[in-house]
Amino acid sequence: MTEGELLQRIASTLRQEIGPAIEAEYPKTQAFMAGVVLQKLGQQLALSDVHTAAETVALDALLQDLEPLLSTGAPVADVNAARARLTQSRDAAALSHFIAALYAGREALGEVRFTQVLGRVRQTLRGSLDRRMEYAA
Amino acid sequence: MSRSTDSTEVLQSRILDYLKRQMPQASALALHDVQRIAVGWSHETWLFDLTYREAGTACTRGLCLRRDPGNALLRHLSSLEEQFRVLKCLESTALPTPKAYWFEADPAILDAPFLVMEKVPGTCPSPWGREGRAFYQAAADRAILPTSFTGTLATLHTLDWRAAGLDFLGVPANGEDFTRREIAKWRALIALSEAPPEPILTDLIGWLETHIPATDRLTLVHGAYRTGNLLIHEDRVSAVLDWELQVIGDPMYDVAYVLSDLNREGTPLLSNLVARDAFFKDYEAATGFAIDEAACRYYNALYAMRSVAFWMSASGLYASGRSQDIRLARTAWSVPVVLARAARDLGY
Repeated sequence: MTEGELLQRIASTLRQEIGPAIEAEYPKTQAFMAGVVLQKLGQQLALSDVHTAAETVALDALLQDLEPLLSTGAPVADVNAARARLTQSRDAAALSHFIAALYAGREALGEVRFTQVLGRVRQTLRGSLDRRMEYAA
Repeated sequence: MSRSTDSTEVLQSRILDYLKRQMPQASALALHDVQRIAVGWSHETWLFDLTYREAGTACTRGLCLRRDPGNALLRHLSSLEEQFRVLKCLESTALPTPKAYWFEADPAILDAPFLVMEKVPGTCPSPWGREGRAFYQAAADRAILPTSFTGTLATLHTLDWRAAGLDFLGVPANGEDFTRREIAKWRALIALSEAPPEPILTDLIGWLETHIPATDRLTLVHGAYRTGNLLIHEDRVSAVLDWELQVIGDPMYDVAYVLSDLNREGTPLLSNLVARDAFFKDYEAATGFAIDEAACRYYNALYAMRSVAFWMSASGLYASGRSQDIRLARTAWSVPVVLARAARDLGY
């Protein structure tokens, strides 16, 4: 039995046996909710390795695609610095920083380039979100 | 620090001692049917009946006590004292709300600030559960409660909030000020939550800040007007509850919440209760306001930001050990669900 399967099993016990046996409203709700939490955790854990690998591939593709999009037109220092940080850190904080830099630099980028770059970033965000929804929904 | 370690018996005894001091003219005070109910996210809620004798007559009064657990969601945004003040102000209006009796800030009485208000007759079925869904569906079929739902919102939006003394909530300037205040409020809550960065949230906030609608109409705004926050009695709204998010602002902010698919439970009915066409017709007729659907779409996106702020804050409270309420832990998985809705609204 994997860790994920064990959590699912405990979740099932909480929801089907422990919860229904509790009469008082507040602790009964808590027992059912504990079951839901363990079920979500189990699903997330089971998908963790696959999702981590997919995130790496998606970020590599994004960085590759940003290069030509940002090298055309006048350079925008803050946006380029944010991209450099993203290339180095490769994490959610750096990606958030890059998106904030895009909005701040919108005027300097020009509407066409802003829309192209943000659209490409959103493609990556959508993929990441779809993966998270596999266990969150 | 949570005070939930008090047994119900100990708490009952302390509540009774307090009520005896508040009602010196009464004798033979006793509490009955004391129960903690699992509603709301911000405060402990206790319901009970108080029996007593006064001037030779046996009396019964239903009461609701809300206590600040010291670690509540939105605690720094909505204090019990503010709720008490709002309820007091609303007593002079046509809006059905519980009478507010006492507020105590002194933690020596029940270990934490609390308020005591009227237990208004009625039920408040959760719209999320099977029983609640059936309740609202049956009420929709009878077609009385939907009219009351819309009419009560119209009353809320047309009451004279200045005359009621509600300007203490803060009055935004005309234009973009209301929305800017809301964005700033939820941005602050997100920062406080110390949750990991969410790139989609950054995108959402960037979009919100560049598409702010202007409004010149200011009303009282409840902030979470939906089934589940309304007490229902004899097929009508007997009280508007959960005064934790109210502001003076654009009434379309409430209308957007009603129109959103957040509270429909998979039905085409708004708040699982009201047909969209009927809501538009009745609301516009009762208020004289035309529903601005573009503004509502914007506020719907703003609600996504607010929801993310809630859930980040809530799950953080549990993760940090400041709350023992497991419902808060569950909300960590609500963040991507809300972000998915926001991404859809932004076109991806």
